Amino acid sequence: MIGSPRLRRLIPLGTVAVLALALAACARDYPNTTFVPHSDLGRAIDFLWKRLLLFGTAVFILVEAALIFIIWRYRRRNDDIMPPQTHGNVPLEITWTLIPAVILAFIAVPTVRTIFVTQAKAPAGAMVIEVYGHQWWWEFRYPQYNVVTANEIYIPKGRTVDFVLQTKDVLHSFWIPQLAGKRDLIANHINHIWFTPDAKMATTVWNGFCTEYCGTEHAQMHFRVVTVEPAQFGSWVTHQQAPGFFNASVTPANPPGATPAIVAPTNAPIPEQAGVSAIRMAQPNVTPPPPPATPTVTQAQLASFILPRTSVPAYAIPHTPLPSEISFNDRLVGDATNGEKLFVGAGTCNACHAVAGNALAAGVIGPNLTHVGSRIAIGAGMYVNDAPHLARWIKNARIMKPGNIMPTLGKGQYDPQAKTVTSTGLSDPQIADIVAYLQALR
Amino acid sequence: MATTVIGPNVGTGVDTGIETGVPGLKPFTPSPAPATVHSYKGGIWSWLATTDHKKIGTLYLFTALFFFLVGGLEAEILRMQLGAPNRHVVSPEMYNQLFTMHGTTMIFLAIMPLSAAFFNFLIPLQIGARDVAFPRLNAFSYWVYLFGGLFISIPILFGHGPDGGWFGYVPLTTRAYSPGINIDFWVLGLQILGISSLAAGFNFITTIINLRAPGMSLMRMPIFTWMSFVTQFLIVLSFPIITIGIFFLLMDRFFGTQFYEPAAGGDPLLYQHLFWLFGHPEVYILVLPAFGLVSEVLPTFSKKPLFGYPVMVYSGILIGFLGFGVWAHHMFAVGMGPVADSVFGVTTMLIAIPTGVKIFNWLGTMAQGQVRFTTACLFAAGFVALFTIGGISGVMHSSPPADLQQTDSYFIVAHFHYVLFGGSIMGIFAGIYYYFPKLFGRMMDEKLGKTHFWLNFVGMNLTFFPMHFSGMYGMPRRVYTYDSGQGWDVFNRMSTWGAYLIGVATLVFVFNFFKSRRMGKPAGPNPWGAGTLEWTIPSPPPPYNFAVLPTVTSRYPLWEGKEADVESARINQQSGKTAEQLGIVLPYDTIKPMFAAFFLVLMFVGLMTNRWLLAGAAGAMTISLYAWLTSPLEPEHH
Repeated sequence: MIGSPRLRRLIPLGTVAVLALALAACARDYPNTTFVPHSDLGRAIDFLWKRLLLFGTAVFILVEAALIFIIWRYRRRNDDIMPPQTHGNVPLEITWTLIPAVILAFIAVPTVRTIFVTQAKAPAGAMVIEVYGHQWWWEFRYPQYNVVTANEIYIPKGRTVDFVLQTKDVLHSFWIPQLAGKRDLIANHINHIWFTPDAKMATTVWNGFCTEYCGTEHAQMHFRVVTVEPAQFGSWVTHQQAPGFFNASVTPANPPGATPAIVAPTNAPIPEQAGVSAIRMAQPNVTPPPPPATPTVTQAQLASFILPRTSVPAYAIPHTPLPSEISFNDRLVGDATNGEKLFVGAGTCNACHAVAGNALAAGVIGPNLTHVGSRIAIGAGMYVNDAPHLARWIKNARIMKPGNIMPTLGKGQYDPQAKTVTSTGLSDPQIADIVAYLQALR
Repeated sequence: MATTVIGPNVGTGVDTGIETGVPGLKPFTPSPAPATVHSYKGGIWSWLATTDHKKIGTLYLFTALFFFLVGGLEAEILRMQLGAPNRHVVSPEMYNQLFTMHGTTMIFLAIMPLSAAFFNFLIPLQIGARDVAFPRLNAFSYWVYLFGGLFISIPILFGHGPDGGWFGYVPLTTRAYSPGINIDFWVLGLQILGISSLAAGFNFITTIINLRAPGMSLMRMPIFTWMSFVTQFLIVLSFPIITIGIFFLLMDRFFGTQFYEPAAGGDPLLYQHLFWLFGHPEVYILVLPAFGLVSEVLPTFSKKPLFGYPVMVYSGILIGFLGFGVWAHHMFAVGMGPVADSVFGVTTMLIAIPTGVKIFNWLGTMAQGQVRFTTACLFAAGFVALFTIGGISGVMHSSPPADLQQTDSYFIVAHFHYVLFGGSIMGIFAGIYYYFPKLFGRMMDEKLGKTHFWLNFVGMNLTFFPMHFSGMYGMPRRVYTYDSGQGWDVFNRMSTWGAYLIGVATLVFVFNFFKSRRMGKPAGPNPWGAGTLEWTIPSPPPPYNFAVLPTVTSRYPLWEGKEADVESARINQQSGKTAEQLGIVLPYDTIKPMFAAFFLVLMFVGLMTNRWLLAGAAGAMTISLYAWLTSPLEPEHH
């Protein structure tokens, strides 16, 4: 059946298909690719991957070519031909046992070396970011800087980051494809993954994902990583340490004992670039951060570094369409001051959410909202952070993100979990006020 | 000359009509009317009460094909949802139920029972036995599988299907995070199905050890029976582990124990170790029978004995052994530490060696042959081509650091579908096309068969090859949707089109299957000119299989056997007598195993709903078992 004519027809067809796939792979933009690593760990993995791909491709071509050749050469020609009744060939069989064994040795040795290098303890000077997984959002804490944020982190280029991974509920997994591999968040375990983002790379946003199935909204548990210059990072930290910008009663931001915020560019060597063995990890950056230039917070610093919206690449801005079930008058203009009152009053937002600087808002169940206005997305990367989305989120978060534990707050809204229509709750103007308040928290 | 070399050149199969495969023997011409399907006559009672391994095998085949269609339909809905970004064909909750049930169905209700259909039908025929060692236990296994399969499959129709993934990781599947009855069905259903698999496993081990015909030494056993033998050991050694792992979860969910309760110090990794210590051997449980089927198909159509038979046997055993030492490669991201990661990485690489040997030996079998590309042979060759790809990507994630980028991404989905679809399913299709004549006495339509193959082959690659790319470009698994602009759209569209193509291919197969069963050309005892024992008897075989038990002198009695082989084949092929006429004692039909199975499953339903139902079902099952055990298996021998 696989006569040579059919085979000849198949070969160009297959070639076209492979070329089309390869072309598709080159021509498009792949914002979450694992093929272009931007950290030492990413490159160590990529070094192994390239070797695996090389050997894998060689074996693939060899076996499939042999199969196609045999199919073509030994297809039935004549029913009367009796092929030789061979039962085996011991030297041949030993050969094709040993060759794979040798190939595997070339994979196993660098594999084991890489495992021990990359799983060593993180270097002493590393910046620690505590990661807490929640169904379905990410809580991030910078213990050295006393900063708490959600679903969005800034990291300075060229400085080793040690992610300390824990979960508040079920299992999750932490993955930033362009920067490093995954590590699971497991109850009763504390896991680490650490790497040094390249010192020379774009100031931009990377997508992060949850990659361990964690329930209904596993698909909508994203986070954003912003790689910035060290000076920008210092400025960002100062800003994050301050209470929400809206709040009139700004108190000194640095709580007692907090590590000084400003971090100067480090003198750490640039991690290996192409040409140097990628298996070695970057030398730990042990340079202590120099003392802060200005220990007190000024108004200028409060307005300081946040990656401008215009610099956020399109792939980091969610495109999830609004559910049609929720209606809202987007022309309503809210009053932020009233919104703050509603936040701790009728809205009862403070039961779950904290806003630093607002003594009444100290909830710990939901994401910390101190600087929510400055974030790119809401709902753990599900929706873009703007007034229409925020308003509908507040009105009916359980339709916006099915399975969500955030209650349905709008009045007269259908709550898909309780399967009832709310009789009390916020009116649209009230929601607009809260939106104004949240947007002011920059 | 003492040895009559018959050789595989006799019996050229479909093209030339009916051949017996035995020289000097007139072609056995089955009449086109139902006289050839004597095994399958009789009303519904004969199926409910049967203890005949061939009828039980047929029941397994139909049931498993039904569940294969169910699992396939679930997959089509999944692919429909992922065909474009931010699509909402189904809700997130339903998507999660669908992917959980797609995996559970395909593994436990389709591929394993499809293999079991072949175990049942073929093992006694290949070793020259009249039935399995425990015919009534065999019936019990089937009924438990059927009722258990319905138990776990029906809830999704009401929106209450299991939704914790086929792996059911804790703590997500504990009562605290999954309070509904969804996971209850999964936990209990898997326990039920485990009973079926274990009973069958012990049954086949006993059968293979004790019921081989005279002269059928272990190293003369057909390779399918050998791979099945290894598989049964994997089943009886690995299923108790998942039984325990899930029993802890069952206790936690129903009786408030705290095996997996993190607040009480429970360790989610304990569950993962128990699950994968079962889960990895399970991969070989799914693929070894397909190895065996392909190793039967390729020699027949190449007109050559299997290349390197002893090495094929040893590598199968070695894969079985090593399969128990690699489980933690499913857990490279959990942070086991560098030593464990290194050990499991290296053992995983080692398993590639015996697997590679098998692939080269299949190539060696075809090389220098006269390869006849019937549909069965196309599927077998397709199996070699596709399983190779799955094997190579498997080595790619045997390296733990590299796996940190690949695990839980679509790259893994691509990998294991090349293993389970390109491997198990292609091998099983090769087996179905090859053994259909033996099962039903009729040939399958080759034209439709080849249409099925090519649609399936192209569809399969179109579905799963792009997943390598979507995975390496950062797409996580088990997501009900994804956002646009992530670079995944084109690959997902390809995968979805491919899935539709597989759907069309499957419809062609179903049509061919039922059409050929009614109207296929009569097959005769040995339509392919094959060499093993099952081809020495009529198609379909009479209830007693062999009129005279054969004496075996070689691996391929019809190709290289001595006079004795030929003589018994001649008698067996021509026998049109009934068991009574031949004085052969066969087990009674009995419905008691079915009742025992039914009440067993009802007990589990009672555990979920009502304790009185639980008590009543337990009592009824005890009575059924007692009645079963105190009634004689077969008429007294005289």
